[in-house]
Amino acid sequence: MMRSELHFDAVVVGAGVAGLVAGARLAEGGARVCVLAKGVGSTHLAPGTVDVLGYAPERVDEPGRAVGELIAARPDHPYALIGVEAIGEALSWLAERVVRGPLPGYRYVGGLERNHLLPTAIGAVRPSTLVPETMAGGDLRSGGPVCIVGSPVLRDFHASLCAANLARAGIEARSVAVAIEVERADQNSLGLARRFDDADWRSAFASQLVPLLQGEERVGLPAVLGSKDPHGVWSDLEDRLARRVFEIPTLPPSVPGMRLFEVLRAALREAGGRLVLGSEVLAAERADDGRVVAVRAHASGRDVRYVASSFVLATGGFASGGVELGSDWITRETALGLAVSGAPGPGEERFVAEYVAEQPMARVGVAVDAQLRAEGAENVVVAGAALPGAVPWRELSGEGIAVASGSRAASTVLSRAAAGAAA
Amino acid sequence: MASLSTDVLVIGGGATGAGVAWDAALRGFEVLLVDRADLSEGTSGRFHGLLHSGGRYVVKDPRAAEECIGENRILRHVLADCIEDTGGLFVTTPWDDPDYADRFVEGCRATGVDCEEISPAQAVGEEPRLNPEISRAFRVPDGNIDSWKTVWSMARGAQEHGGRVMTYHAAVAIHRDGDEVTGARLRDTRSGEEVDVEARVTVNAAGAWAGRVADLAGIEGVRVLPGRGIMIAMNHRLVNTVVNRCQMPTDGDIIVPIRTVSVIGTTDQHTDDPDDHTVLQAEVDAMLDDGEKLVPGFRRARALRVWTGVRPLFEDAKADSTDTRDVTRAHALLDHRERDGVSRFVTITGGKLTTFRLMAEETVDAVCRQLGEERPCATKTTQLPGSESGRHYRLGERLERKEQHLRDEQLICECEMIPRSKLEATMRRTGTMNLDDIRRLLRLGMGPCQGGFCIYRATGILHGLDGISAEDADGALLHFLQERWKGVWPILYGDQLRQARLDDWIFHGVLDVEHLPS
Repeated sequence: MMRSELHFDAVVVGAGVAGLVAGARLAEGGARVCVLAKGVGSTHLAPGTVDVLGYAPERVDEPGRAVGELIAARPDHPYALIGVEAIGEALSWLAERVVRGPLPGYRYVGGLERNHLLPTAIGAVRPSTLVPETMAGGDLRSGGPVCIVGSPVLRDFHASLCAANLARAGIEARSVAVAIEVERADQNSLGLARRFDDADWRSAFASQLVPLLQGEERVGLPAVLGSKDPHGVWSDLEDRLARRVFEIPTLPPSVPGMRLFEVLRAALREAGGRLVLGSEVLAAERADDGRVVAVRAHASGRDVRYVASSFVLATGGFASGGVELGSDWITRETALGLAVSGAPGPGEERFVAEYVAEQPMARVGVAVDAQLRAEGAENVVVAGAALPGAVPWRELSGEGIAVASGSRAASTVLSRAAAGAAA
Repeated sequence: MASLSTDVLVIGGGATGAGVAWDAALRGFEVLLVDRADLSEGTSGRFHGLLHSGGRYVVKDPRAAEECIGENRILRHVLADCIEDTGGLFVTTPWDDPDYADRFVEGCRATGVDCEEISPAQAVGEEPRLNPEISRAFRVPDGNIDSWKTVWSMARGAQEHGGRVMTYHAAVAIHRDGDEVTGARLRDTRSGEEVDVEARVTVNAAGAWAGRVADLAGIEGVRVLPGRGIMIAMNHRLVNTVVNRCQMPTDGDIIVPIRTVSVIGTTDQHTDDPDDHTVLQAEVDAMLDDGEKLVPGFRRARALRVWTGVRPLFEDAKADSTDTRDVTRAHALLDHRERDGVSRFVTITGGKLTTFRLMAEETVDAVCRQLGEERPCATKTTQLPGSESGRHYRLGERLERKEQHLRDEQLICECEMIPRSKLEATMRRTGTMNLDDIRRLLRLGMGPCQGGFCIYRATGILHGLDGISAEDADGALLHFLQERWKGVWPILYGDQLRQARLDDWIFHGVLDVEHLPS
């Protein structure tokens, strides 16, 4: 087997939001950085919004204030190690990168003062902090009737159920269906987004929709409004329909999530960082003091040894395979073999019989110190869903933790390098 | 209160009850089949899917073996479409008593179970994942049988002969007129409405719950001891042949390939409550260990779902002598006219799925005796709806059919390849608002993603049907999620936990179903 060796200042493992943010910010800080990942992360699955805190457990309207309270109540939560200020700074950085990014005119809106209240594809109302402008028009804090538009060709979005549930919540909502001609019955959101990229197709779509609309309605569409130029597609539709238009996230694949991935990848590359997808980190080489000296990754049929002075572990939780529960009921971190915390042991209760409930296995992650450094490996910083202490899918805190801890990981590594250089 | 009348009222919509309804309908009786829940929601829908050759019982219970092989041959003809002819193997692993194999061969010969010894090398050649340490291997005519499909085809067959089926109707009282049972009162478990049924004969086919139904009729001493067993479905055909350990029957010694999964079973824990579905950690661990013995690497496959079924083990507390006191796994037919002096009432319980037809035949024979009528049984040769061609189910069939419509049919459940048209037609036909009922009919949400993608879609489609409100649709989704969770949480590990966490992200993170309007 061919073997080669590459040297970097920092190696980031994982290319979800946390890994890409850490990589981009490390590169911007002057580090030679490489992001290694087995595949893409949660961006392609999640709605593409940045949720800082949606439920605690009551619905959160002011995420900044609520995070402060959460930090006081749960010192084991990742936010308690990061702090509210750092979250705000990270959100600003991200919003700035979206504006400077490869999608012309596309931007994110919102901040820690107020959550948006956005409809979901089933018609629940979901709090979210920093959101694409293409979704912000759906904010249900502002009143007025909404019209949800669907098409039977998209099985991952059901407009009529969405509108009916919004109506149950007291929102004036109705739905209409638009016929879309397709060559193949199975369409996903990405396939439709590519159609919306096409101006002629879009114009035909809009002229089909216009006669179905009434009065001053806002128009909610599945989040398929373009993959290459979403701002252009969205504003074009607003013009053609002469109404506010907003996107509603669908089942995966997530088009807005892929846009966020493109933004972060561009930020990483622009700053000189590298991204190697399809490269699975198999093991770590540890020094006697526990530090990770190098990682071995497998890509394209060969092993590569990546040597670096610092590492960021951003491989996610159970959903991404960063943490794994074996059939021996022991929980392990899969890439570097680090210690985990928060996991019930063999013989202890792992889950409870009620689905919608606090599950003992929920808050598992890689054991870290107050600087997010992995226990026993002081040159490894942990970011994102690999951190213990949160239940991000129920709190709606996933991207908030990812962006803020990715940023924090970068600054920890950079200051460590600076201290090393000074010494 | 509404009232109905029928010749034969059958209480219990498992394989036995549906078999009785089908048999009686074929003999020209008007039948009404009722169940407190959906058809085959009890023990029949909660077994491993094994169509016994009888091999399992040749040493321990030769009579059961004879019954099994006889019924196996009949069912292959009349229920062809519900059966996959996988064949079966009995293999001697290093953990098995090597002397048992010769007794097994002798037992097969004595009971008429077809059995052919093949070399271990040939067995491993045919089933490459089989433990290569096996010392002997025997081929037998085991197969798998889809119990949901079986029960539904019998129900449909009965309906085609004028019979009626009422699911979600629990018997709340059995009417007596002196020494005669005259019918029952049913309660719709969803609406609470009650209906009185007048029947010439009432059949108690409630399986593990038969003692309770007998109690309603004021019949004493019908004791059914529920024996709880767990089964785990693994997400692959780890073997394509039914594989049995060649030893005295015990726990965890069978792997049945059925549809796209393999099921390992089972255990036997006595319980007082037939609705007790507890899964013990120790049982799960034991099943996984047993799986490793037959198929090394078993634990590395995904465990998709665990469930428990309760065997109805009959004990006649009324019989006075030693010969019937033994708890028996054989079936028990109680003619209450003979046993208790109460006529027009028959109880059938015990037994195993493979012998349900025989049990139904004997039951309807008893019904005829009570009515003083002679009507011959026709279920031995009459093919069920869907099985007329006599062709067995093949695993590749659905893919083949699906490929023909790939471009113009939306797939709602990719794991189980369920097209939208079929889902909609089934929802309309059954009128059910319960997605778990649809799961049993179509296998919706039974694949590796356990409903992660298809259940939102199915909920949207359900809501699109006439008369289904958003509230009903939301309720159906939340109910499905809870029912699914019951069957997965005790065995969540490895990639299946990863999958479950992705589902968490979809249902909470993307859809926020926890905060639907209530």
